[in-house]
Amino acid sequence: MTKPVNLREIVLGILLEITEEEAYSHVVIRNVLEKYQYLDKRDRAFISRTAEGTLEHMIQLDYIIEQFSNVPVYNMKPVIRNLLRMSVYQLKYMDSVPDSAAVNEAVRLAQKKGFYNLKGFVNGVLRNTARRLSQVRYPDPAREPLHYLSVKYSFPIWMLNKWVMQFGYEVTERICRDSHMEKGTTVRCDFEKASKEEIMLELEKQNIQVRQHPYLDYALVISHYNYIDAVSAFKKGWIYVQDISSMLVAEAAAPNWGDYCIDVCAAPGGKSLHISEKLMGSGYVEARDISERKVKRMQENIERSSAINIRAMVKDATVYDPESYQRADIVLADVPCSGLGVIGKKQDIKYKMSEKRQQDIIKVQRKILDTVQNYVRPGGVLIYSTCTIGADENQYNIKWFLENYPFKLENLDPYLCRELRGRTTKGGYIQLLPGVHESDGFFIARLRRLVEE
Amino acid sequence: MALRKIRIMGDDILTKVCRPVEQMTPRTRTLVQDMLDTMYDANGVGLAAPQVGILKRIVVIDIGEGPLVMINPEILEREGEQTGQEGCLSLPGQAGMVTRPNYVKARAFDLEMQPYEVEGEGLLARAICHELDHLDGIMYVRFVEGELFDVSGDEEEEEPEDKEGNEA
Repeated sequence: MTKPVNLREIVLGILLEITEEEAYSHVVIRNVLEKYQYLDKRDRAFISRTAEGTLEHMIQLDYIIEQFSNVPVYNMKPVIRNLLRMSVYQLKYMDSVPDSAAVNEAVRLAQKKGFYNLKGFVNGVLRNTARRLSQVRYPDPAREPLHYLSVKYSFPIWMLNKWVMQFGYEVTERICRDSHMEKGTTVRCDFEKASKEEIMLELEKQNIQVRQHPYLDYALVISHYNYIDAVSAFKKGWIYVQDISSMLVAEAAAPNWGDYCIDVCAAPGGKSLHISEKLMGSGYVEARDISERKVKRMQENIERSSAINIRAMVKDATVYDPESYQRADIVLADVPCSGLGVIGKKQDIKYKMSEKRQQDIIKVQRKILDTVQNYVRPGGVLIYSTCTIGADENQYNIKWFLENYPFKLENLDPYLCRELRGRTTKGGYIQLLPGVHESDGFFIARLRRLVEE
Repeated sequence: MALRKIRIMGDDILTKVCRPVEQMTPRTRTLVQDMLDTMYDANGVGLAAPQVGILKRIVVIDIGEGPLVMINPEILEREGEQTGQEGCLSLPGQAGMVTRPNYVKARAFDLEMQPYEVEGEGLLARAICHELDHLDGIMYVRFVEGELFDVSGDEEEEEPEDKEGNEA
């Protein structure tokens, strides 16, 4: 007989790949689920829930483990520490798993992975955790506020420290709490293809819950569906999955009939397609990206949308393209970033990012800005955006940019709904915060190139 | 260590009823060792003698808790039910859902031809049932509920076997 599939072993493999080998959680989990397509829905749900949940609560799980182990988590063998994490997650967060199953399966798996001598250790830590979980003492919010947030929401201290200084304690806690919330999927409707009533009806026919997004008329929030590929309105091309924040980029760009637009970091192409729609077939959108694979996928999406005024091409945004010099009416620079605004969707980001890495990312962002500002014609518009929160990659970059290049910030209010207008939007930029706004964490600035005398 | 060739479904030998082992011989001892080697090499949890072309009532099992050699085995008790995925080294790349007892008690002889009893739950119960069926010429596919499915993608580390052109 062949070895049966061991679901916990699969989860352990996922965690090892993500926490020890730097792979991205959404990629690893997607690949594994694809590979084990034949497993029934319950088993697949166990795999994704256990893996995602363990990542989501990892700092807290480590804290609990260290209450019951004399060995600190960072000193454990990778297999053992990830095995303990996923098992404590089952004990604390999965009511459907009996404690004995979580413990026994972990002990068996430790042995199977060649750690016969650590069976007793795994057994001891997990049995003690199961018995005394409710007595664990967490950091006191009054005495150690940052430590409290860090353990409660599983965010690294350095990140919290920065946020508390910039946004205050209360907003920081809202950002953290929001990252653990279940949310629907935001979709952009293409009213050229179907009316809102038709789209809503089509979705409701499949028992999908739909609600209007407050910020844009053509944005809906859908929930209670299994696979987006099985949603008929999606298959028909009536809706496109995109966060509200990305839609706001095309709003802020506000293209005019016939504009030539270059999107320098375009993949997966949502913003470019959105602008091409707004141009109503006029003008031209160049959707550039560095990755050949992503550009290919983008080209396929474009062909499916049957838009005629857009083209995908492979081009590195950090390499100057002399042919584009001062030719574009609009340049979109949605630059690579630390991604701290989308932690709710990609939980591992919060552990992989560091201040050092952020510094490297800022260098790339400035290199891109330095390169692509050349493409904006005098009087043309540059939209700078990131899916991160915090001044380092946003306001400070804009400040640096304005000091070095002939651009000025331009009022965003005409392009935003009333709820979003605020202190900074008149000045030309907006920082969307998860938990404060109904959006991913995102930053948008609208800059115009000065016309020289 | 010697590996034996695993017979694939379609081979007549897998449909035959095996003969009991009368006495332990060096030949049989070697067979058992080869069966264990072959099972571990194929990443299996169980293997029956007819799967390597020998019509003797011998199976080896290791579900990750050490090797179990069963000579002339028989099931004494069955209890409960479990439904789960099952696959066979004689039908590589495929699996199906099979319902088996959740508990079995079996009797067999060890390598010294001493009788012993073993109780198994869950995976061990399933493996005992699956392997003992082989001794009577029965493949698990007879019991599959629904369709067989393809699991060939699961073992990506395994090197492809050097048998191109044999099957077309």
